[in-house]
Amino acid sequence: MRSLIFFLRVFNWFSLRQVRQHPWRAATVLAGVALGAAVFGSVRLAVHASLDTFGRSMDVVAGSADHTVTRPGGRVDEALVVRLLAHPAVRAASPFLSTYTRARDGSGRSFLLIGLDPILDRPLREWQVAHGSGEDAKWVRLLSEPYTLIAGAALAASEGWTAGQTMALGHRQGTASFTMVGQLVPEGLATTEGGRIAITDISTFQEFTGTIGAVDRIDLVLHSAPTDAALASLTALLPKGTMLQGPGEAKRSGQGMIRAYALNLSILSFAALFVGMFLVYSLVALNAASRRRELAILRSIGASARTLFWLFIAEGAFFGLVGWLLALPISSFMTRFLLAGVSRTITTLFVRVNVADVALSPEEIAFSLGATLVVAVLAAVQPAWEAMRIAPKEVMAAASPVYRTGKGSRRLAIAGLLCVLAVMPLAGLPGYRGIPLPGYLATLLLFLGFALMAPWGLQRAGRRLRPALRRHAGLPAHLAAGYIQDSGSRTAISVGALMTAVALFTALVIMVQSFRHTVEIWVDQTISGDLFVTTRMAETNHVWEPLPDDVQTYLQGLTTVDLAPDRRFNLSYDGFPFLLEAMDFQAFDRYGSFFWLEGEPRQLMGPLTAGEGVIVSEVFANRTGLSVGDRFQYQVRGVSLDWPILGIVRDYRTRGGVVFCSLADLQQRSGGMAWGGVRLFFKDRQAADGPALERVQEDLHLRFGDRLDMFAGRNLRASVLKIFDETFAITTVLLLIALVVAALGITTTLTVLVLERTRELNTVYAVGGSLGQIRGMILWEAVFMVTVGEIGGLLCGFILSYLLVFVINRQSFGWTFLYGVDWSALAFSLPLIVATALMAALPAMRVVYRVPPATLLRDR
Amino acid sequence: MSNLAPIIDARDLSRVYPLGDSAVVGLNRVSLTIAPGEMVVLKGNSGSGKSTLLSLLAGLDDPTEGRLHVAGYDLRNLSETRKNTYRRTVVGMIFQSFNLLPTMSVMENVCLPALLAGKPYPETIERAGELLDWLDMGARRGHRPAQLSGGEMQRTAIARALINDPALILADEPTGNLDSRNGGLVIDLLRELNRRWQRTVVIATHSNLADPFATLQICLKDGAITDSTCDR
Repeated sequence: MRSLIFFLRVFNWFSLRQVRQHPWRAATVLAGVALGAAVFGSVRLAVHASLDTFGRSMDVVAGSADHTVTRPGGRVDEALVVRLLAHPAVRAASPFLSTYTRARDGSGRSFLLIGLDPILDRPLREWQVAHGSGEDAKWVRLLSEPYTLIAGAALAASEGWTAGQTMALGHRQGTASFTMVGQLVPEGLATTEGGRIAITDISTFQEFTGTIGAVDRIDLVLHSAPTDAALASLTALLPKGTMLQGPGEAKRSGQGMIRAYALNLSILSFAALFVGMFLVYSLVALNAASRRRELAILRSIGASARTLFWLFIAEGAFFGLVGWLLALPISSFMTRFLLAGVSRTITTLFVRVNVADVALSPEEIAFSLGATLVVAVLAAVQPAWEAMRIAPKEVMAAASPVYRTGKGSRRLAIAGLLCVLAVMPLAGLPGYRGIPLPGYLATLLLFLGFALMAPWGLQRAGRRLRPALRRHAGLPAHLAAGYIQDSGSRTAISVGALMTAVALFTALVIMVQSFRHTVEIWVDQTISGDLFVTTRMAETNHVWEPLPDDVQTYLQGLTTVDLAPDRRFNLSYDGFPFLLEAMDFQAFDRYGSFFWLEGEPRQLMGPLTAGEGVIVSEVFANRTGLSVGDRFQYQVRGVSLDWPILGIVRDYRTRGGVVFCSLADLQQRSGGMAWGGVRLFFKDRQAADGPALERVQEDLHLRFGDRLDMFAGRNLRASVLKIFDETFAITTVLLLIALVVAALGITTTLTVLVLERTRELNTVYAVGGSLGQIRGMILWEAVFMVTVGEIGGLLCGFILSYLLVFVINRQSFGWTFLYGVDWSALAFSLPLIVATALMAALPAMRVVYRVPPATLLRDR
Repeated sequence: MSNLAPIIDARDLSRVYPLGDSAVVGLNRVSLTIAPGEMVVLKGNSGSGKSTLLSLLAGLDDPTEGRLHVAGYDLRNLSETRKNTYRRTVVGMIFQSFNLLPTMSVMENVCLPALLAGKPYPETIERAGELLDWLDMGARRGHRPAQLSGGEMQRTAIARALINDPALILADEPTGNLDSRNGGLVIDLLRELNRRWQRTVVIATHSNLADPFATLQICLKDGAITDSTCDR
């Protein structure tokens, strides 16, 4: 304890007072660390709030169910409830239905309507109705009065509903009037979807949605732990195509979809913190270098090398801790901004989340603090190590020696080259459970490799350019080249920081542009169609319901359009979610095409149309390991499917993979299957965008009212690209923050380089160098550093972009895209980075001669 | 005095600094014996090896050859930890450029070696206060080095050198950065340390201020001891 108090006392006397003496320098570093920590912390909070909300929602909806009876691709027969309740292993069984709907006159936002049996459901889910004075149990009214509902508090508040009020709700069967009989106490089931839910009786639900006699699933509570025999006899009760599974299946599947997105966002947010690490390094290194003599004094009066080491480690930790504390208010602001963006993106791309608030868990606080501290301490290790090696005899020297560590750059370069060479073999290893660990490790090796090659690069650049610079750019450039040539690890690490930021920038620009370009082609080819018609809220409800028969009949009678009908089923293959899309290949092929990766389109259309095989998306192939020649075997709605895989196509739907099969073949195998949706193609292509399209839309609306959702193809394609751009908006913000932190790093680094050489620069002044020449020299040094950093960063960025496109994306999401470099974007932004980096040199140039040269040249 | 075991015993002590492909000889086979309580003045021109010898005696540097025993410590075979202990407890060092830590006050600078040696803070403060009062620096204990005159800085450095009650005081050009009045005061203090407190004092200097009080004068030239009288 005494030694700790001693250490803290010396730390205060020696280190903190130094920090206080240079408040602006410390403030710059703290701003960088705080910004990095805030970005990292708030992204994690936003991502985890979304993940937790989803998990909690799934938990409360699942209630205390041990098992669930489902029928993949279809609904479960309601009559099964009675048979299951009669089974000796079953303690409780509750049928469950849900759908998203929205009020005709309200906020326009959809909400979750749950249909259940209020009596059977009691042992499974926790929900109760808020009581007014002297009122009976309102839930009884759900049973006794049709078309009544009990609303969640948030839903009632946002829609302005009160008990007794009647509201019109829309669904595929049309619109129906419901009466609100009460409000749910905001706990248990009522907290799912942020309280935007309503409960109605199962029979009302079935009538409203046209699902009489069927339920989504039956949740079971069994007596104690069931034996294998009991489970087997339960399974034997189930009709073909119906299965018994654990209640967490949907939750696991949903979380699996979000995890890759969440992880990639976390890693990207870490970039800002990582770049902040270089800032801490710069200042701690400055303190270690500029205080060599003081450190030697400490050593001469008995301080151990270890004490010096820990003083600088503590300095790094101090910057980490204070930076993290400063990050707290920034985080609270950023989290609000990011939460909206992240939850919207997750809802749009993966699963529906409705985040009401952010819960600060002690683990999350500890993790954020821990990550910031670790990064800051790691940044201080090298300067601390250098401080530790200061010999006590330096105290006898008249002036601090000039330390340059240009030696060994070739060895470092070879180590760096080996790291870079190891990148591709490492990246080729498979990911672990959808986490691209080899990809991330390869990225780290890549950054490390380029940072290690930086000293050699600087040395070579300095040596090669020095003579030419003397002739063409004058003495300052010549001197700057000489300094850069010998500057060693200090400059190299700063150049490494710049390389990291430039590489991230370059790689992300290439990746986003390649991705967007590929998605544009995919959207144009695969999402072809002039008008898309589905049942009401089909997309929100995951295309669950078929089109009503009268709609199908009417559409078939249209003569001006060709129809490409489809039917989709959201299923799961070994726990991996996928979409089985049965379609009319022939009709589709007339107006659109797939984005082929494997397989010969012209040869395959015939067999596909005839139902002689299926094609799968790249994501499905990568996730399941199935490829061309393998067989796709599955059971949907009791129909056994067994097709060879004939081809692989690109597809960028985010809710899993896709298997495309022939609709006609599926209809034949299942004995008839209604369309789920249909694409309309105008035979007269000139009419596709004009009044003819509007006439068809109007006509359908007049005939079928609000039972359908219709999207003009042009609008749908535009909305896909809009979602894409919105998704990457967060990425862009994070990247810009990382660049700001990198610019702060350049300012600190150059200031460090100037301050470190105060005596040297003043000697140049004393022997006749003008202020302009010396400032020119510093500017040239900045030019050298920025140029080498930018060229290295560009090279590193190109390799990183390859990793992102073909390794990390493939391992995270299962897809790749066409690699293409948007030279115009790079040509525009890279000079901007150079200019910003050179601007960051200005404070360093101002530092020169703040103290009169005579004072500095005098012996201390 | 001569009957006591020597506090410094050096045999064929050499220190060679490698410089590229060649080498610079800092100290060349120096042998000397100094008894406790002596006041030694090391003399010689710049580059003669005075500071090198002082560095070796202070445990700041290691000899490349020879044997060096100080106060029972074999400085050639001392671990880094033992060398720290040696510097904390056996020697007190006074420098030409004072070498005070600029971020610390006078009191903190003086206390630091004792705290590094693990002494309790209250006891250290009390002892530092006594020393500063004795050196007439009591009123300046809260000041930073930048607020002191050269003489005050050197008196602070002397207090720091004495805080751990060392047996050996080493002074490297202690008057080099002082005017003649302050230089005289510093030499008087060192003499008092030697006479009244029985400390062994070794002063490396160009000046003649300490000559009248020296019990032993060693002259160095090109890293070697020349003879008993020094060239001027």
